[in-house]
Amino acid sequence: MPNISELSAAQIAYGVTCGDFTAVEVAQASLDAIEAREPEVQAFLEISGDLALAIAAKTDERRARCAPLGSLAGVPVAFKDNMQLVGTRTTCASRMLEHFDSPFTATCVQRLLDAGATPVGKTNMDEFAFGSSTESSAFHRTCNPWDTQRVPGGSSGGSAAAVAAGEVPIALGSDTGGSIRQPASFCGVVGMKPSYGVVSRYGVVAFGSSLDQVGPFGRCVSDVALTMNALVAGGRDPLDSTSQAMSAGFLDNLEQPVEGIRVGVITSLMEHEALSAEVRTALAEACAALEAQGARLVEVELRHMEAAIAAYYVIGPAEAFSNLARFDGVRYGFRAPDCATLAEQTARSRAYGFGAEAKRRQLLGAYLLASGVYDRYYYPAQQVRTLITNDYRDAFMRCDVLLLPAAPTTAFRFGEMSSPTQMYAQDLFTISNNIAGNAGVCVPIGLGVQSLMPIAAQLQGPAFKDHVLLRVARALERGMEEAGRMRPGVVAPAFARRGGVLA
Amino acid sequence: MALTREDVRDIADYARIALDKRELDEMTSYLNEAIEMLQPIREYDLAGVVPTYHPIGDLCNVMAPDEPDAHGRALAIDVALGNAGATRDRAFRVPSILGNGEVDGRCQTSAS
Repeated sequence: MPNISELSAAQIAYGVTCGDFTAVEVAQASLDAIEAREPEVQAFLEISGDLALAIAAKTDERRARCAPLGSLAGVPVAFKDNMQLVGTRTTCASRMLEHFDSPFTATCVQRLLDAGATPVGKTNMDEFAFGSSTESSAFHRTCNPWDTQRVPGGSSGGSAAAVAAGEVPIALGSDTGGSIRQPASFCGVVGMKPSYGVVSRYGVVAFGSSLDQVGPFGRCVSDVALTMNALVAGGRDPLDSTSQAMSAGFLDNLEQPVEGIRVGVITSLMEHEALSAEVRTALAEACAALEAQGARLVEVELRHMEAAIAAYYVIGPAEAFSNLARFDGVRYGFRAPDCATLAEQTARSRAYGFGAEAKRRQLLGAYLLASGVYDRYYYPAQQVRTLITNDYRDAFMRCDVLLLPAAPTTAFRFGEMSSPTQMYAQDLFTISNNIAGNAGVCVPIGLGVQSLMPIAAQLQGPAFKDHVLLRVARALERGMEEAGRMRPGVVAPAFARRGGVLA
Repeated sequence: MALTREDVRDIADYARIALDKRELDEMTSYLNEAIEMLQPIREYDLAGVVPTYHPIGDLCNVMAPDEPDAHGRALAIDVALGNAGATRDRAFRVPSILGNGEVDGRCQTSAS
């Protein structure tokens, strides 16, 4: 019998629908893989075994009475722990929400359940999604399955690691400045940040409301496309005022050739001094792989890219400070005992409940929004946002997608980033995408010749052209496979066959 | 001009996060480093540039009928109160808001 980690989500759904195996057998295999692999990976904060088996049994019942099954029938999925799912806690990897029971289910989660998916657990993350390594989780670290001495990236590090270790074929993450794409890059999986508004955020704990977007991880582009279909199939979500309708045709043209597609490259970024030599080499190969399929490389410019980090670290913390003001110890979250006044209770609850990085971001946001300071930073940051958005508009008049680095290097070691601002520089290539609200996806393109760790190329496309973006991502994946650089669907070798036999 | 320890104490008060002395030192150092990182924002000629507050800002606001529970979103009372540290009857319970320190206003765990 196959191992669960050898199967794609599409193969699992097909097998369950055809009766090759049951959803309960698949759920058990996934839980078995998790049990065998978690001691070293630690991707999960909560494993919802009983819920998984109960939902899988319902899928099998549906099949038994010939009721239609969804496109993700029996597929084990994991959710970043900032997404609500009734029957699980939603902790955001924070002491603040350590005991918080999800009072309702997020739309993005519900849509995967509606498509027949089996929820096996909630994954680790940087606390409230503040970070690029998952090291700021209040509970434990998550290890990169390709080298457990290294970080999985962040903030959706648990979701990326769970997919890379073969514990689940797909997982959801959220991306405010690169939090899906950078961990996907570090863990050698595909990770997509859809255009802002494509996936509902209802029931996802907010960080930066004008930047946040939910998206899938998978071990191949077609599984990401399959998951995108499930996320958008229900149409616009009336429960999220930013939600936009998008057609669920992500698989329809996925294999179409990319001949004539214009791929924009920005020389200053491809030769950026922060890039390691092995990343630079791999990116050149990625360009060649698309060119070999008839895509045309065109030189473009994003003139204000260098200001993106500064703009982001104004807008992000300001929005985070507003959003996290709700954690006052009254309605939910940690409540400091024995306080004489509400003000004291609030200040002490927040002091205990938030970790260092969550405090840093909120204090920075509080400062930036203060009277007198607002005009110096916040307002200009929103003007720079206009410049960055215009740069993209101009670039996309000359090309269909952009190809750029995902991260400066491959996954770094635990503790290697010595200061918060050094960590922020990790986001250099990803955050402008959130600022403009465009779509982005990272595709594995091989292992670094020095580090032997996964490297990804990042593709970015215009807002709401997500289907075209994934088609180019598939072409890149195909090209790298043909070049012998990366096999789609590959699981980190050390974990590939530990537990998880589909009995 | 660099932020002083006193400035950061005021910011923390405003943000309602109680900091101890060590944290206050660390946060002062961090905030000054972070603000330094933000300087590029102030180096561009931004005269006449319209700010963008939202990536899809040119779309219309979404309105909904002013009716309760249109989508079954209202939580049952026990669910709504279930994650609170202190409650009484159908309400969240909080200490004295005006700060007169009345004993009855003190936090009590799930009094009802």
